[in-house]
Amino acid sequence: MSIHRSHKIFGRTVKGLIAVLLMLLCTYPMIYVLLSSFKSSDDFLHLASYQLPSHLDFVNYWTVFEQGRILTYFKNSIIITLTTVILLLGLASLAGFGLSKINFRGKKSLLFYFNLGLMLPMQVALIPLFYVFSAISLLDTYPAVIIPQVAFSLAFSIQIFYSFYKFLPNDIVEAGIIDGCSPLQIFTKIVVPVSQNAFLTVATMQGVFCWNEFITTYTFTKSISMKTVTLGLNDFVGMYGLTDWGATFAMIILTVLPTLLVYFLANKYMLAGLSAGAVKG
Amino acid sequence: MFVLPAFVVFSLIVMFSIVWVFIIGFTDWNGFSQMNFIGLKNYVDMFTADRNYWGIVTNTLVYTIYELFLQVGGGLLVAIFLTRITRGRAGLQTLYYIPVIVSTVALCQIFTMLLSVTPPGVVNSLLGLFNSDFLYEEWISNPTRSLAVAAFVEGYKYFGLYMVIFYAALIAVPKELTEAAIIDGASAFRQYAQVKLPYIMPVIISNFILVLNGSMRSFDVSFLLTKGGPGNSSQLLAPYMYKQAFSSMKYGYGSAVSMTIIILCVGIGLLLQKYLLGRAEEY
Repeated sequence: MSIHRSHKIFGRTVKGLIAVLLMLLCTYPMIYVLLSSFKSSDDFLHLASYQLPSHLDFVNYWTVFEQGRILTYFKNSIIITLTTVILLLGLASLAGFGLSKINFRGKKSLLFYFNLGLMLPMQVALIPLFYVFSAISLLDTYPAVIIPQVAFSLAFSIQIFYSFYKFLPNDIVEAGIIDGCSPLQIFTKIVVPVSQNAFLTVATMQGVFCWNEFITTYTFTKSISMKTVTLGLNDFVGMYGLTDWGATFAMIILTVLPTLLVYFLANKYMLAGLSAGAVKG
Repeated sequence: MFVLPAFVVFSLIVMFSIVWVFIIGFTDWNGFSQMNFIGLKNYVDMFTADRNYWGIVTNTLVYTIYELFLQVGGGLLVAIFLTRITRGRAGLQTLYYIPVIVSTVALCQIFTMLLSVTPPGVVNSLLGLFNSDFLYEEWISNPTRSLAVAAFVEGYKYFGLYMVIFYAALIAVPKELTEAAIIDGASAFRQYAQVKLPYIMPVIISNFILVLNGSMRSFDVSFLLTKGGPGNSSQLLAPYMYKQAFSSMKYGYGSAVSMTIIILCVGIGLLLQKYLLGRAEEY
């Protein structure tokens, strides 16, 4: 019996150790950046990179704000992310509803058609879209960044809405028909209010992806006034090279902070979207 | 009526682009002059004259194998681990997912600093405590290692995504199945090997396909962290396509490289989906 128990304690210790190690592996980079963002230039010279800052120094954050562009980057990222998410929610929820609750011919092939989008890489659309956007002089505008992101996120978002609506009881829709609602009224007045979870899932997941997006914005914008936080962060290093690590650390914290906040507030919804797909098989 | 708006946007942007890139692949378009139809020349050049092409295809396939181990293998192991512990699962899952939501740009910069040599970054400083030779160990700028380092960062970023999917699938395995196995005296290892993993096989396969697809089109990490280098040692197809088109102004040639990516992603994806998922349903 005691052997059995010590065996158990040993197992528990090992598990605890693994859990902590994995946790360090996943969180250390962000902790390292946060701590380093408070280091003074003196600390960078005299302390080893893994050591704690000698005192909390906010000078790096000042450097980032003084340089002035961060507010422009934030403005652009907010405009682009919000517009993309709103358009995506509208288009994908309508399509998901139509595909799961309305019977029409060719529904199956339409579903397959959208699913193809899951496999098509966005990167290969950059050349043709660059051609089209320059022909209609759309380069360096918000739509040039927003449209491709909406279109390429549709496949995944429709799938989430589709599987959500499939489990929505038909009675709800039928009740609406009996009350004499038009299909659009059924959708806006009855279906949307009960599907907040699906909306939150798509909004938080795609919102974070869009905030972090790099390649579309990098390709289709040129001027500094159009840059987003990820591009600004990327340029930041180019401008300062390795000379100002402190400011770079502060910039990373500022650009990542919004996604971390959204994640800690709404991780339930973000993870739910992934889990739903798994259980469905 | 409901599906129409999404259908139009999707067709106009996504499907239209794929058709367009196929057409541009037969031209010598350089971004501003006229497009001239040159037939299969881009493809002939790509397969025979381009000294980098096959090496880059090989890199992409090697990279994909790394990712399958890190993301499918790592994600599955961590998910199994989570099901084996009793307390704090939700909290740990939330923390393990953090790399997924940090942007690749930020992550690549963080790793550049962690792996820095002059001044020594955290990794070299810590290794240097054991053996001072490690202080000068090159990671990102070492041609024999840069591909693996980029693959590690990509795997690090995305394994949490698959961990969440695997975990959800594992805890959805019916209790009766595992209980029957426990009554039969099956060890924990055999419970997984013979009951749970076969049960979630469709999920394993679909994650396998997702990772395969994601790695063959992988762009950001190689582009930002190693810049494909040194030389072409960590160059992958998608950033190579990008450089050909947007840096060398060979949009026609870049489109031909794009077709390789499309064929790898969609072709292998559909084949595997049909073959493997078809078989998995027999379980």
